[in-house]
Amino acid sequence: MTPRIFLCAMAALALTACGPDPINPKRQIGAHPFLPEIHEYLLPPMHVVTNVGWGGAMPKAAPGLQVKALATGLKNPRSLYVLPNGDILVAETDGPKEPVSRPKQFIFNWIEQQAHSSVKAGQRILLLRDTNGDGVADMQTVFLDHLHSPFGMVLVGNDFYVADTDSVLRFPYTQGQTQITAPGALLTELPGGPIDHHWTKSLTASPDGTKLYAGVGSNSNITENGIEAERGRAAVWEIDRATGAHRLYATGLRNPNGLTFEPESHALWVVVNERDELGPDLVPDYLTSVKDGAFYGWPYSYYGQHVDPRVMPQRPDLVAKAIPPDYALSSHVAPLGLVFYTGDNLPASYRGGAFVSEHGSWDRDTLNGYRVVFVPFQGGKPSGMPQDVLTGFVDGDHAHGRPVGVAVDSHGGLLVADDVGGTVWRVTAAGR
Amino acid sequence: MAGSNPRSTAQIAGHPFHPMLVPFPIVCFVGTLVTDIAYWCTANMTWAVMSVWLLTAGLIIALFAVIAGFIDFLGDRRIRNLRAVWIHAIGNAIALILSIINVFVHSRDGYTSVVPTGIILSAVVVLILLVTGWQGWAMVYRHRVGVREQTP
Repeated sequence: MTPRIFLCAMAALALTACGPDPINPKRQIGAHPFLPEIHEYLLPPMHVVTNVGWGGAMPKAAPGLQVKALATGLKNPRSLYVLPNGDILVAETDGPKEPVSRPKQFIFNWIEQQAHSSVKAGQRILLLRDTNGDGVADMQTVFLDHLHSPFGMVLVGNDFYVADTDSVLRFPYTQGQTQITAPGALLTELPGGPIDHHWTKSLTASPDGTKLYAGVGSNSNITENGIEAERGRAAVWEIDRATGAHRLYATGLRNPNGLTFEPESHALWVVVNERDELGPDLVPDYLTSVKDGAFYGWPYSYYGQHVDPRVMPQRPDLVAKAIPPDYALSSHVAPLGLVFYTGDNLPASYRGGAFVSEHGSWDRDTLNGYRVVFVPFQGGKPSGMPQDVLTGFVDGDHAHGRPVGVAVDSHGGLLVADDVGGTVWRVTAAGR
Repeated sequence: MAGSNPRSTAQIAGHPFHPMLVPFPIVCFVGTLVTDIAYWCTANMTWAVMSVWLLTAGLIIALFAVIAGFIDFLGDRRIRNLRAVWIHAIGNAIALILSIINVFVHSRDGYTSVVPTGIILSAVVVLILLVTGWQGWAMVYRHRVGVREQTP
């Protein structure tokens, strides 16, 4: 090795490798995850996979399960909703382009470009129908067009609600309808641009249908865009369906997605993407029930009272109130979808538990996530370790796809939206 | 015709590039310290954002200043024989390496992008620039580097 190459290698090492060794992600699962010391890098590790598509490959289902493509060739399918008649809605969507605020943003925009699908999203909702029940959609229509980064969808009676990135819209819907042409009525504006860092607005309705709940992610990693940019964000909004009035139901949830009511306890559950750039194993993303009025820490602290030194001024009064989430999923797995299984197609052991989609990491050397897992529940609480349900999304440094939205169809099959792979996968019991 | 003044090689019509370029990084790096102090006092992220842009702009122009300076350094042995040149060059090399580290520190998110490491690096760089700037002025105003020969 010539001295010059040696010096270059040393410089590269000095910039990247002076970090802690990664720990086993299994130590960061459940109610009491191991939390290592904070480590702030000079150059944080970035491991961006190359998107190669599926070709002839398929994701791998757990033993006893099989997987089949319900629909392929979609443009950034990110979220799913199943209508009462069995029609499946797929939001083809993408976030608005974030403005360059710092030189770092050039690098982040490049990562975003690499990690996400190169296909431009449709910014619309498609309707898929499987008329002959063979598990493959044989009818596809554009259900709703010209939306603005749509993500959340929910039907209450004859009112169909879409959460665009900046508003909740209401559309009239009658069962069996395959296309909505009526203009949407604005129910409530949501925090949107111009920065709109976390843009996916997840949506669900209370079991009695009087309230809607929307997940509104933070506008930064850790307030680097200023605390004013975070107004109304990192929160779950409760929206009155009749008036559109809203209040912050729970706060301190950095990027809450997959809002769903747990069928047994009727409590609201979410998956949350926690903060970056504190090390490969900080901070674990999580699955949690959301308590009315609770504060979950962001930005001031994580997992209760673990203070984040990057936030100034600090707020010891709020940190004291912060409560830890219920169930850690390990670090940087990027959970974006959550559904409780109430169907009867899959083996009985899946009934009552939760499926969580993990979009996958980019800011740690060893990849984490890139799979759909099952978390067993008992008495309305997680009752064991997560089990892999759908894997095979990454192969070394190549990504075939990345799972985002999950839903259960009218026959009890588990649906998984794969944005990079442009596919909706359907998981059923093997041989059924 | 060789005069008695050390000659600048990177020059246009007798106007050396290096002294034209150096004010940019110097002002940028001093500005970084000022906006770092403003951020430290106010915790308003706007100041920290200005710091990282100043650092980046300073480093980009510094690259060209280094090239021009290095060409002058290689172009005339009389320049290399000056003690001030060596203090100036080595000092500025250290200041630049520290500023490169500093731009990474400033690219972190939130308070620790400035306090304490970032603001300390910014201050050390300004102290080094006081010394190397002094040597730079000595090169021109005392040793007449790049100054035109007096016509009799």
